[in-house]
Amino acid sequence: MIEFRHVSKTYPGSDNPVVNDLSFEVLKGEICVLVGPSGCGKTTSMRMVNRLIEITEGEILIDGEPNTAMSGTQLRRKIGYAIQQIGLFPHRTIADNIGTVPNLLGWDKGRIKERVNELLELVGLSPDEYRDRYPAELSGGQQQRVGVARALAADPPIMLMDEPFGAVDPITRERLQDEFLRIQEDIKKTIVFVTHDIDEAIKIGDKISILKQGGVLAQYDTPENILSRPASEFVSSFVGADRVLKRLSLTRVGEMDLEPANGGTDRLPRISEGVTVKDALSELMGWGQSSAVVEKDGENRLLTFEAIEALTSGTSSEAPNGGGTSA
Amino acid sequence: MSNSALLLLQDVLEKPELIDWEWIRENFWEDIVPAFQGHIFLSFVSVAIALVIALPVGVISARYRKVYPPVTFVTGILYSIPSLALFAILISIPGVAIGPSPVIIALVAYSLLILIRNTVAGLDSVPPETIDAARGMGLTNRQILFRVELPLALPIIVAGIRIATVTIIGIATIGAYISGGGLGALIFDGINRQFPTMIIAGAVLATALAITADLLLLGLERYLRPWARVRRT
Amino acid sequence: MLSNILEVFARPDFPEKLREHVVLSLVALLVAVAIAMPVALMIRNTRLGAAIAINIGNVGRAVPSLAILALALPLLGIGFASALVALTALAIPPILINASTGLREVNKDVIDAARGMGLSGGQILARIQLPIAAPVIFAGIRTSAVQTVASATLATFIGGGGLGDLIVEGYSERGPEILLAGAIAVAILAIITEVGFGALERAFTPKGLKIAQKRGR
Repeated sequence: MIEFRHVSKTYPGSDNPVVNDLSFEVLKGEICVLVGPSGCGKTTSMRMVNRLIEITEGEILIDGEPNTAMSGTQLRRKIGYAIQQIGLFPHRTIADNIGTVPNLLGWDKGRIKERVNELLELVGLSPDEYRDRYPAELSGGQQQRVGVARALAADPPIMLMDEPFGAVDPITRERLQDEFLRIQEDIKKTIVFVTHDIDEAIKIGDKISILKQGGVLAQYDTPENILSRPASEFVSSFVGADRVLKRLSLTRVGEMDLEPANGGTDRLPRISEGVTVKDALSELMGWGQSSAVVEKDGENRLLTFEAIEALTSGTSSEAPNGGGTSA
Repeated sequence: MSNSALLLLQDVLEKPELIDWEWIRENFWEDIVPAFQGHIFLSFVSVAIALVIALPVGVISARYRKVYPPVTFVTGILYSIPSLALFAILISIPGVAIGPSPVIIALVAYSLLILIRNTVAGLDSVPPETIDAARGMGLTNRQILFRVELPLALPIIVAGIRIATVTIIGIATIGAYISGGGLGALIFDGINRQFPTMIIAGAVLATALAITADLLLLGLERYLRPWARVRRT
Repeated sequence: MLSNILEVFARPDFPEKLREHVVLSLVALLVAVAIAMPVALMIRNTRLGAAIAINIGNVGRAVPSLAILALALPLLGIGFASALVALTALAIPPILINASTGLREVNKDVIDAARGMGLSGGQILARIQLPIAAPVIFAGIRTSAVQTVASATLATFIGGGGLGDLIVEGYSERGPEILLAGAIAVAILAIITEVGFGALERAFTPKGLKIAQKRGR
């Protein structure tokens, strides 16, 4: 739905491009995370989608049409925009903030009010309590939720999010991420999500585009493939030496193919099926056990080290080979 | 500069009615220099006295916040009263003669508000962690004040001194009306004698003095605070 | 003594002097706003323009009021009009400085969010920048107003009229009641201006900003 075609950006007076021949696609209903070290051009790339920054070369297509087909201002009213510093308007109420784009688009007051209430519920803030408050009265986490609600207000098909959960503490951030994923399951927006945190990228992304310094695409692939088949030295070191463990966080215990437990399970610890394999491994090691019982569909199954190992087989711990789109 | 402004300036510089360079040469040491010296004296003394009052009051107000609102109120009222009016009120007090004294009293009164306010703001701007660290290292309150707080508050305090000094230089010109001396004397004499040269000499010199002081103190302020931002009124 | 002072207020020429003073101050202020605001708006997005405007403003603030009024005498002649020109020039700097910094200090993230959401430049100015900068702008207008009322007292020296006339009359003719009456009238006028514009400033501060100020955000 969003296609980057040989996109480059060089600032006038500078020799080096900040984004260099970037080509990839964001499919409809998917979250594509742009991730990379500082200076890799991820935020610049995102901001070229809604033309806050203009492309020097190449083009960006939205649903097959170049994004230059209409004026920047009109384009932006159709794209949700949420940034790290949130940027709530301090002099307007929460309701006014959220209603900004619908108001610009000429919705009638009743419809806006309903939509604001709906969105506040969606992000977990009680409308009666928060509608008429001002940004300064809210905590960082609450402001961030309002930021997301504001981006969703006009129900745009596409959202751009630049470290939207960056400005809060790790615990709140994790909660916001979980809630956001839950919301996305319902609304299925097409999202370009920027972060510098590879763990967030793995958790959130349906696809990940890893960018190198200078705005070059290092790999575009699913999180699973990036972890198991990194396309280059850069990717594997960016992902981290613990990428095998990271892979384990992608699967839940309940999704594994486990052998049924055959009795003798009374002295074994239990693990619930919703726990990620990585966390389960951590628990096993903490207990000093090599197996545990998982209850699934009414049956007791056995989680063992061997079963976990089998999951990770096929992960190369040596130098990279090909997989996905890469440079 | 546009053409007409240039012509006007040329006019001013050439017309003997407007600037009598002869007179300036003749009376430089007799009239102009003493006026200049008198003005610097007035300004300097006033700023000094004002600081001696304002700094302690500022430090106390920063510590004991209850004192701050009444202090601001009183100095604020003094600041609002137009200078000529304040001079008039002061010399109406029996026992206060015309001359430099009431001028200095008024100048000090004017600058108290800005100096106190900036002292408090400067002390407020010291990060609490820094003071906490100092206390944790065993410094006494007095040591903290003089070695940590005041030095860190200095840029904002100097900003206040700058504004106060420039204001004082400006208002001192008016003090000449009640025989306070200074460059204003040239201006008032010039008006009385209908002699533009004196007016222009006084006005230009007073302006130059004010701007020079402003720039020098701005330089000092920037030196003390390399990350200087533009301050609002 | 007090009764003598009150008698001065009852003089037939007193209302006229008061009116002259108010008119001088008000007109100078309004013209200064009309000049300074458009300039501040024009340079709001350029760093160089803002730096120039603010530096001009700072220099302007340093200039002694009496100097400008006095210079108006040989250059523009005596009378109401000359005083008005001088007072207008003096009234511009505080407004220019505050309007320029106020507009530029609006949080860049808020403006980025607004732009990203699709507000046009004009909408950003009207709905975001001006409302948020309003308190600072009004503080500048207030400073300028009080300063202008004070400077208008000096208009008497170049034949501009106003309450300064009473002070000069009292001083030169040794009429202490007249002197004090003029001084008190001007002082009260100045204080009313300070308080009045202070209220105006608070009225134009958006509620959300007042809350933010209180919480130190």
